[in-house]
Amino acid sequence: MATSNTVQPGDVTQRVGVEVIRARGVDVDKLIKMLVANAAAEFASTYYYYTILRMNLAGYEDYKEICEDARLEDRAHWELIVPRIYELGGQLPNDLKAFHDQAGCAAAKLPDPPTVVNILTLLLESERCAIRSWSAVCDMTFGKDPRTYDLAARILNEEIEHEAWFIELLAYERDGKSIPSGHFRRGEPGEAPYSKNRGFYNP
Amino acid sequence: MIEERSFRVVLETPDGIRSIDCGPSEYILNAAAAQGIELPVICRQGRCLTCAGRLLEGTVEHYRPDAYFPEDKAAGFILLCRAMARSDLRILTHQEWEMRAHRLAHNLPAPYA
Repeated sequence: MATSNTVQPGDVTQRVGVEVIRARGVDVDKLIKMLVANAAAEFASTYYYYTILRMNLAGYEDYKEICEDARLEDRAHWELIVPRIYELGGQLPNDLKAFHDQAGCAAAKLPDPPTVVNILTLLLESERCAIRSWSAVCDMTFGKDPRTYDLAARILNEEIEHEAWFIELLAYERDGKSIPSGHFRRGEPGEAPYSKNRGFYNP
Repeated sequence: MIEERSFRVVLETPDGIRSIDCGPSEYILNAAAAQGIELPVICRQGRCLTCAGRLLEGTVEHYRPDAYFPEDKAAGFILLCRAMARSDLRILTHQEWEMRAHRLAHNLPAPYA
């Protein structure tokens, strides 16, 4: 197995940035697959379908704005993680359906009937899948691949906030209960305080 | 009050054979966790295949899995995060990569593959 020490001067076929994390025990091929699956979930399972969910929250303008924050922040997550896939030597499928099929989370398709409770339930479970997926990346990279860990942790921070938002809204709408998220709405739509405000690629 | 019947589920894991009780409305994965057996899982939506197992004996029913195909059932693969026992069972756990290979061979969605 190649290590960082075996990359020869001028060799452009290997990356020290990859070999050092491989030497520390990261299965880089598996990591790339996880990142592609998570990127697909952000783009194809949530960002795309949240667009439709947002459109169907008519009469709930405040919920619509919060759904929009989650939608735009999921897009920010996609933008944040894709460069890392290529940096590690991976790539995206050159076919959108193949990419969609790689997603590790279910597509957040408009529920039938599209009631506010059904939509909030779907949003909540989508965020929970994202938390589990990014936690898996954090677990895989902690103490071994600080760059991927940092990116995944930024995304995880926002997914955890999204879950808290939708718990608060669903508890209120469905159960008449107050379970505060502890947050206020973003300063601007899709502000993404963790994944954009200290931007790697999309400040 | 009528008690729901509990089924005996034998899990063949890499760490050895373990047995659990599983109610008919309980996901096998959750029943295992409640009885101290942590099995691989990520999405809990019946999609990502991380929880895949192979049904060696018995009958299960999947409750609203995101993606579970007739080819999966024919090959004996089950998704423990969405599968509920309908009889006593024997299951080979930790089959995620085998199930992904099966999906790819059948040109079906295989997340993480």
